[in-house]
Amino acid sequence: MNPDIARLTARTLLGQRRTILVVLLALLPVAIALLYRFAAPADADPERFAARALLGGIVTTTILPLVTLIFATGAFGQDIEDGTAVYLLATPVPRRDIVLARFLVAWAASLAALLPAAVAAGLIVLGGSGPGIVAGFAVGIAAGSFVYAAAFTWLSIATSRALVAGLLYVFLWEGTLSGLFSGIRFLSIRQYATGIAGAFFDLPASVFQPRLEPAPAAVLAALAAALMLLLAVRRLQRWEAGEAA
Amino acid sequence: MSGGSPPAIELRGVSRWYGNVVAVNDVSFEVGPGVTGLLGPNGAGKSTILHMAAGFLRPSAGDVRILGEPAWRNPGIYRRLGLVPEREAVYGFLTGREFVELAARLHRLPDPAAAAERAIALVDMDAAAGRPCGTYSKGMKQRIKIAAALVHDPQVLILDEPFNGADPRQRLHLMDLFRRMAAEGRAILYSSHILEEVERLADTVLVIVAGRLAASGDYRQIRALMTDRPHAFTVRSSDDRALAARLLAEPAIRGVAFDDGRLEVRADGLLAAARALPAAARAAGVTLYEVRPTDESLESVFAYLVRR
Amino acid sequence: MPGADPRAGAIYDLGYRTYDGPRLGRRAAILALYTFTLRGAFGIGRRTSAKIVPLVVAAFAFIPALIQLGVAALLGSRIEIIAPWNYLGYSEVPVALFCAGVAPDIFGRDLRYRTLSLYFSRALLRSDYAIAKTAAFVTALAVLTLGPLLLLTIGNGLASDDLPGYLADHWREFPQSLAAGLVIAAVAGCGSLAIAAHAPRRAYATVGVAAWFLVTLPLAGILVEIGGEIGRFAAWFSPFDLLYGAALAIFGHTPGADSIQARADLPLFSYLLLAVAHFAAAALLILRRFQRVQA
Repeated sequence: MNPDIARLTARTLLGQRRTILVVLLALLPVAIALLYRFAAPADADPERFAARALLGGIVTTTILPLVTLIFATGAFGQDIEDGTAVYLLATPVPRRDIVLARFLVAWAASLAALLPAAVAAGLIVLGGSGPGIVAGFAVGIAAGSFVYAAAFTWLSIATSRALVAGLLYVFLWEGTLSGLFSGIRFLSIRQYATGIAGAFFDLPASVFQPRLEPAPAAVLAALAAALMLLLAVRRLQRWEAGEAA
Repeated sequence: MSGGSPPAIELRGVSRWYGNVVAVNDVSFEVGPGVTGLLGPNGAGKSTILHMAAGFLRPSAGDVRILGEPAWRNPGIYRRLGLVPEREAVYGFLTGREFVELAARLHRLPDPAAAAERAIALVDMDAAAGRPCGTYSKGMKQRIKIAAALVHDPQVLILDEPFNGADPRQRLHLMDLFRRMAAEGRAILYSSHILEEVERLADTVLVIVAGRLAASGDYRQIRALMTDRPHAFTVRSSDDRALAARLLAEPAIRGVAFDDGRLEVRADGLLAAARALPAAARAAGVTLYEVRPTDESLESVFAYLVRR
Repeated sequence: MPGADPRAGAIYDLGYRTYDGPRLGRRAAILALYTFTLRGAFGIGRRTSAKIVPLVVAAFAFIPALIQLGVAALLGSRIEIIAPWNYLGYSEVPVALFCAGVAPDIFGRDLRYRTLSLYFSRALLRSDYAIAKTAAFVTALAVLTLGPLLLLTIGNGLASDDLPGYLADHWREFPQSLAAGLVIAAVAGCGSLAIAAHAPRRAYATVGVAAWFLVTLPLAGILVEIGGEIGRFAAWFSPFDLLYGAALAIFGHTPGADSIQARADLPLFSYLLLAVAHFAAAALLILRRFQRVQA
């Protein structure tokens, strides 16, 4: 961790127009929650809606990975694409510190965008009932964006098309393929996040059923994040200045 | 510098290929204190060599060392090495001062602000240092990049096309700066495809053609070594025509011509000409006023090497 | 140089000649740009790393059709789970990712590297440029949206015991597949390009296109579920729900009970109308962009 690089990364993210896009995306759950509050049919079940459609649905499957992907690629990918990464790399700062600084800032930015909106949306829908659901998904989102940020940091260093590669992972691997091959749940950050969230509430299986138990989900999440960060450091140590091959 | 210390930059049998394209082919050289120009046409492999020297490309074969330490995967070398990349991009939202100070902080200098001021003054950027880099012209970006590379007072400085975008006054200023730094015992390696920049600044020249080291050393020495290409002189004497007639009898002289009233002599080599000219003048009873090499410019050396 | 005054200026005849042969003209220029863009969309003629994304994603769009044909071939009986009318439900993610990965490069390079002036100084009109590029991308996308449908209809025909009888019963599927595949490609393709053409960097284009397809999908599901009378119209504005509805209308198929089209309960032909409206709006946005952009 290097405070100067962290500060630089934070300024990079704040200065980018994509941040506005991300904030809009992150606020979507609040808008949905307000709509639910005012327009939902009388027979709707708030717990089911919060766990299945909102927090366990669009927030975890779409908004969480997208927001983290945009911030992680914005923190590192942009720097490498523009060629400015050289100014950080041509210093004796250990590569581990550079990776950690960028990863932590990307994670913190994602949390700042995701958590307040998700918690607010959950509270609006549930209105005080089922606090475990809100707390569970808050922890799940925090853990999920931790692993996503690590994975996408590595992708940003490893490939110039990190954004598309990340989309492929999120929507093709975690979205489509994991529905067909249930073993993929062990290799899916989304399932780690919902599995960890599941530790905090107990809903009937017909309402919401995580596909991983909390303990293995947490262990796998920690292992995956550590592996991704290790790969990211390794890749940065071997980073080569881009020249058209 | 004591003879035992390792060279500032050392390449031994270095090659680099991309797939089946060879960008740099078995290049060996040493760069010591002073200004060294890496000269070659676009696409010759200059950037590849500089990137390898700066530790940003892995050599496919061979060994690259900075002050005796390996350059690849060794961030420690940046304590004694400064790098000015060719790409123009800088952090547009930082002011020039912030940008240089960031470099100072990343180098863990004891007083980053003072170090930044010093470096900014060196490149004559004090006036614009408070403005965001995004508003700079090409030449100003170039200078602020140089300031960032100089901020930790490195022993070795590598610059990729440093004069790109600089106006003639800034160019002179930078040349002067490099000369001063070289005089302090630093090693400066920079690339250029513009001969004039190399000829006026570099003590030593490395000529890269098609990924291979075509020549190295003082360019006048390189010129002297090229024995298969005739050397040309312009000669003024008390009687040019008599001298010309006598010169043709010397085996080392390839030909004489009158161009615009001046006598042009082409000889096999520098030494041969140095012996033949006075001998012929004495034999013809002619006084030599002036003997001047006509095409000793780097341009002609370079054109020759590229054509070979 | 004997006789030449070195200080006198001179222009040497190096033998350059102006071209005064026949010129192929505007139509050929459009066709050339179309072919070039179409090849580029799949990374043909570009470096290997540019081929990976389009080809992998395209392969995923064909996998459901291959699975269906494999099942039919192995089990003999016609168990039809994946059919032309519901195919988009299986291929929407590859289609979206193809758009997000490829569409930003269709105009992006020319906009970023300011090469547009090179095109506009030729026989091409600004609208020709936009139309040729758009048509090429829609064609590329049609490989993913139409290709599997044709593969399915042909494969099912060949797998049946009674080919003439199959053709007599199912001949309609050919024109229907053709129409559905082209409508999907045209709407998704033009929409993606309209977004990409207005994005300042490739990253924004990629995110914008991905969000247009993939954020609206769960969002529309939620809005239809809880939005009541107004929320159900969300099915018109999520591109995949819209195009799935349009495909249902083309094939004359009723939506499945838990599909968003059934829950929104909007007339099926309205999806076709909205698809046309989306296409027109996107095409206008693209044309306007290139009428105004500084070349």
